[in-house]
Amino acid sequence: MPELRGSHGDAPTNVLTRWFGTPDLHTLDVYESKAGGYTALRKALLEMAPADITNEVKTSGLRGRGGAGFATGTKWSFINRDAPGPKYVVVNADESEPGTAKDRYILENSPHSLVEGILIAAYAVGANQAWVYIRGEYDEPYRMLSEAIEEARGKGYVGPKPMGKDYPLDIRLYRGHGAYICGEETALLESLEGKRAQPRSRPPFPAVKGAWGRPTLLNNVETLATVPWIINNGGAAYAKYGTDKSPGTRLLTVSGNVNKPGVYEVELGETFRHVIMELAGGIAGGRELKVFWPGGSSAPVLPASMLDTKTDMESLAAARSMGGSGGVIVMDDQHCVVRAAYRLLKFYAYESCGKCTPCRIGGDWAVRTYERILANEGSQVEIDTLLRVSDGLQNGRCLCGLGDSAGWVIDSTFRHFRDEYEDHALRHECNVGKAVGTVQAASAQVERS
Amino acid sequence: MSALSAHILEEIKELPAKYPQPRSAVMPALDLAQEELGHLTPEAMSEVAAALELDPGYVEGVATFYSLFHLEAVGKHHFYVCTNLSCTLRGADEIVDHLKQAIGVKQPDEVSADGLFSYEEAECLGACEFAPMMRFEHHYHYDLTPAKIDALIAETRDGAPSPLRGEGRGEGRKPAAAAPLRREGQGEGRKPAAAEMAKKPRAPRKKKAADA
Repeated sequence: MPELRGSHGDAPTNVLTRWFGTPDLHTLDVYESKAGGYTALRKALLEMAPADITNEVKTSGLRGRGGAGFATGTKWSFINRDAPGPKYVVVNADESEPGTAKDRYILENSPHSLVEGILIAAYAVGANQAWVYIRGEYDEPYRMLSEAIEEARGKGYVGPKPMGKDYPLDIRLYRGHGAYICGEETALLESLEGKRAQPRSRPPFPAVKGAWGRPTLLNNVETLATVPWIINNGGAAYAKYGTDKSPGTRLLTVSGNVNKPGVYEVELGETFRHVIMELAGGIAGGRELKVFWPGGSSAPVLPASMLDTKTDMESLAAARSMGGSGGVIVMDDQHCVVRAAYRLLKFYAYESCGKCTPCRIGGDWAVRTYERILANEGSQVEIDTLLRVSDGLQNGRCLCGLGDSAGWVIDSTFRHFRDEYEDHALRHECNVGKAVGTVQAASAQVERS
Repeated sequence: MSALSAHILEEIKELPAKYPQPRSAVMPALDLAQEELGHLTPEAMSEVAAALELDPGYVEGVATFYSLFHLEAVGKHHFYVCTNLSCTLRGADEIVDHLKQAIGVKQPDEVSADGLFSYEEAECLGACEFAPMMRFEHHYHYDLTPAKIDALIAETRDGAPSPLRGEGRGEGRKPAAAAPLRREGQGEGRKPAAAEMAKKPRAPRKKKAADA
C-alpha cells in the first residue's frame, strides 16, 4: 500500500475514514474485529424490515456522492420491491471525473465498507444481485474488492443465506475499458450490457428499467460505503453532521498546487478556505491561489476571492457552481486559466460519446477555437465563438451532463477571468508566467478535423 | 489458421453464461483477445464475434469506443501517463517529454525501435493526490520524476519483475513470445496510415469512427 494521503483515524468528523490507516483494514478479519464491520448488515437483515432501512437512509439525508447529489433514500424508494422478477443494484465505481480519487481511496483502504453497504442496499430494494462497474484502470482496487467479496462469500455474508437470513445476496464485478462517459448512469448501464456507452434518454428511469431491462438501483461507491455507519448509528445521528439540506460528511479530493494533496473527509458546510488552506496545507511554493474547481473539472470554477464559499450543495449553487464529485482542483497564480480551460475542453471533446450533435461538434469546435486563441491567431470572433458554443452545449441541449460540463468550463472561466481571455484573444499576450500544457499550432488542427 | 488460440476461444465461449444477458461478455472477451495478441486485429475481433454469435461490426463498434482497447500494435510495455489538469499542474508535461526521450519515440502510440515501449497520454486516472502519476504494467506509479521513469525503464529492460507484474487479470496468460510489432493483421483502408496518425495528438476520433 502506498502512504495514506488524506483523512484517517480518530477525528470528530471522520465518519467514513475513522478506521482508515488501521493495519490490514482491507481484510474481513480486521474490518470486523477492529472497525465493527458487518454489524450493520446483521442488524439490517435480522432486525429491520426493508422499508425501515430505506427510511433510515431517508432520515440521514444522505445525498449521492457521485456528482448529482440526489437524495439516496428517495432513490431507494423508487424501486418497487414487490415487483416480480430480478432487480439489480449497480455500483458506479467508474470514478473518472478529473480531480477525483475518493472512491479509489475507499476501495483501497476499506473495501468491506462498500461490500457491506451494497448488501444492505440490495436487501432494502429487493435485489438479490449487485454489479460493481469498476473502471478498467483501477487494477489494485479491483483486486482488493475482488478479495473482499470472496472473503465475504467465504463467511456466508455473500451467498444463499447471509447471516442466516433466507435472502440470497450476490455481488459481481464488471470492468470498464476507458470511457469517462460511463460515469453517467445510463451510459454505464449500456456498457454493462456490452454496448458502446451512450446515454439513454429518460424516461424510463433505471429504477423502472435499468440493467438488462430490469429495475435497478444505481449508487456511487462513497454513497454506499456510508450506509453501514447510518444503519449502525441511525439516520438522525448522521444528519447531525453538515447542513440542513446537505447533511453529513463527504470526501474531497484536493489536488493541484497545494502543499498536501489528499482525500479529506469534511463536514458539509465547512469552507473551502479550511479545506485548501488548512487540510491541504495551503498553496505550494509560496504562490498565491488563483482559482479552484470545487467539485471536479465539471464544476464551474471559483476564483480566489470566493475561497470562503462553503462546501454544501446549496452554498455552491448560490456561488453558481456545484459540489459535483468533490474533486477540488487548485491552481496557483503562475498558471494560465485559458490554457487550463483548453486542456479540459480537449478532455470533454475526446470523451464525448458522439450521440448528441451539440456535444459531438461543440467540444471539437471549442478546442479548435482555443487553439487559434493560444496560437495568437485570435480576435473578438474567437471569444464570441467560444461563448456561442458554450451556450449550445448547455440547458438541456444534450442528453447527459457531459455537454453542460464542457460549456460550464468555458462559461465560468470566462466569467471570472475575462481579462485573461482578452489578453490572449485580442492582444495576443499571456500575462501569466507558466503555461498549462502544450498547445498544438492551430494549423495542425486542420488535419485533426 | 486463426488469430486467437483454441483455448482462448473456448474461454470466450464460456463467458456469456456469466451474465444475465450474453452480450455483456463482449468486453471481457475482447480483453482475452487483447491479452493474447497485444492489440485487437480485425481477424481477432471477427473471431470474438463468431465465438459470441455476434455481428463482427458490432464487436468492432464496441472495441473502437473504449480507450483501453488497442486497435494498433503498442509496445510490449505501454505507459498510460495522466496529463489531465491535476497532473499537469504538477509537472505531467515534463514527465511525458522525458519519457518520450527515454524510450525514443515522438508521439503517443509510436512503438520504440526495440518494440518494447510505447506510451499514451491518459485522461484522469483517479489518483490525483499522487500527481504526477501513471499506470504501467497494471500498476499505478506515483510522484513521478524523470529519475523514477529512468529506473522503471531500466528495470523493465533488464527483465526484473516489477512489484506487481503478472498480478491482476491475465496472470499467466501473457503469450511467451513478445510479438511486439504484430501488424500483419492490419486491414487496408480501415484506419489512417501510421504516418498520418503520427501527426495526431491522440488516437484519431476512435469513438466516432464507428458512427458512420
